[in-house]
Amino acid sequence: MDVSGLVDTATGRQSRAIYSSEELYRQELERIFGRCWLFLVHTSQIPEAGDYFRTFMGEDDVIVIRQKGGTIKAFLNSCTHRGNRICRSDRGNAKAFTCNYHGWSFAPDGSLSAVPLEKEAYFGELDRSRLGLVPVAHVAEYKGLVFGCFDADPPSLEDYLGDAKFFLDVWLDAMPGGTSLVGETQKMVLASNWKLPVENVCGDGYHLGWAHAGAMRAVQSLDLAGLSVGNSSTDLDGGLSVAGLNGHMALTSLDGVSGYAFYPKPKPMLDYLEFNRPQVIERLGKVRGEQLWGSQINITIFPNLQFLPGLNWFRVYHPKGPGQIEQWTWAMVENDMPAEIQAAILDNQCLTFGLAGLFDNDDGDNLAACTEQSRGWRTAQMDVFTNMALNRSGPREGFPGDIAAGLVSEHNQRYFYRRWQEHMQADNWAGVPTYNINSVVAEETINA
Amino acid sequence: MLESGVAPMSTESVTGLTQRLYHEARLLDAERFEDWLEFMCNDVTYRMELKRRRFRADRSPPAAVGVGVVFNENLARLKLRIDRLRSGFVWAEDPPNFVRRVVSNVEVERADAENEAIVHSVIVIHRNRIDGLTRVLTAGRSDRWRMHADGWKLAAREIALDHAVLPDSNINVFF
Ligand code: FES
Ligand SMILES: [Fe+2]
Repeated sequence: MDVSGLVDTATGRQSRAIYSSEELYRQELERIFGRCWLFLVHTSQIPEAGDYFRTFMGEDDVIVIRQKGGTIKAFLNSCTHRGNRICRSDRGNAKAFTCNYHGWSFAPDGSLSAVPLEKEAYFGELDRSRLGLVPVAHVAEYKGLVFGCFDADPPSLEDYLGDAKFFLDVWLDAMPGGTSLVGETQKMVLASNWKLPVENVCGDGYHLGWAHAGAMRAVQSLDLAGLSVGNSSTDLDGGLSVAGLNGHMALTSLDGVSGYAFYPKPKPMLDYLEFNRPQVIERLGKVRGEQLWGSQINITIFPNLQFLPGLNWFRVYHPKGPGQIEQWTWAMVENDMPAEIQAAILDNQCLTFGLAGLFDNDDGDNLAACTEQSRGWRTAQMDVFTNMALNRSGPREGFPGDIAAGLVSEHNQRYFYRRWQEHMQADNWAGVPTYNINSVVAEETINA
Repeated sequence: MLESGVAPMSTESVTGLTQRLYHEARLLDAERFEDWLEFMCNDVTYRMELKRRRFRADRSPPAAVGVGVVFNENLARLKLRIDRLRSGFVWAEDPPNFVRRVVSNVEVERADAENEAIVHSVIVIHRNRIDGLTRVLTAGRSDRWRMHADGWKLAAREIALDHAVLPDSNINVFF
């Protein structure tokens, strides 16, 4: 289906059909979830051989398994005999996966290791070597984040991430010990199209003061972006909306402490930041070490991964039809953080953006209603708008990307829909443009 | 029945505690949060841990930093949640939703402390929220109640939510 008329990034307009059309959704499964690198698991979640983690790529159920020798493979979680799901546990450690239906058994490397009555019923004619679990075409890791890709010929993961790595490294590579995801998966069903939470977190500083006014009132210290309740007086220059990072984007404050300053007992965290800042500056350079590490940052990796240093939540959205998602959230920590700080982060993440999150609980109904109001005969023909602060972006010294000043802007959302449109229009990766706008070669980085 | 070998609590205690659970449910249904807080001990703990779904024979070790929680509240944090709900800015609760709690399977046991009791129960929270949208949340609860001069007060509540995936977009309710 031609989507050239459904999104206009020059004026900031989207057709509501993109949130409700079954046909467009099937096309998204093929051209976005079937083509892009998708987040699978953090290496910290499957540290030992035989550790596995179940997740989804689009609507495909996938099992990710740590191999002997340390590599990571991913397979469709579907038996090659008659298609049954082979694993119903969320995660764990296993020597083999035995299908519940007829008992075929698969080794962690995906090979079909045992078939009941193989000699008697199959007369020894079954070619087990051709009936292993179907692997995800590509699996690659970037500094702890493991991604999978169904496409036969994608760009490398590093190229796919492009200049978003500038921001990714502020979390993943600031400290030498790396990072972990902690706690069980916080899973929630939302009656929302998958694009709506992504566009919300990728750029929507506008909603904070109003949608979350109740939580902000109650938790004065959680005035996340210097926005006061009701959006009445906003510090519009308090940060940057950064896009043009090959389809990815970041929303960041620049003070180096705002991510942690709002915690109920921030002292140990602020001490940790100040103690370690010199080495972070050494590792990432002055701009990132002084202005970004410790700041509240929203990072979006297209299409469905978002994580927020500071609030320290890490999230993927799994589509379940045009009008439904499962939202999966974890807390994230730096491994160099003392145990008390890690525990406080997990607790605070659950309090603010968990299943009963003081802030997170404000968003679901808005996203669901925007979805539902795109489904009517008349509303499906209407448009919605991301046209705030058009044509007010540009380069900024020391940062990559096309940058709009402030956290209240719809700059990033326009780039998100631009990327969506580019993928939906392209038959394959050859038709998808690469752009890292205002690329900076970070002068003092060890990560080049 | 009670675990074998445990002497039962007096009928008076059982009735009193059961009535307290029902009363608590009615206060919460009516959003009488401040009245509900009157039944909390000052050192109350109110917790709901995240759920796991694992094979019975799973061999993986427990989570290093902890499994994470849905609720991990003390009195101040319960008040914080109530402050939010009372702010007049929680749009998901306005108009108010139709919420009804059903409390059942009440079992009262002696606790180690003379003035305390362990109370097990099941709670079903029925919520009718937007137009016809109805969600039902089910959980088991294990409480520790403490006798004060003015009656039983809640000292600790462990809530086990029976949903691996939360079937709603918020938990703006207490269990
Ligand atoms: S479907 Fe799995 S063994 Fe038959
Ligand atoms: Fe929000």
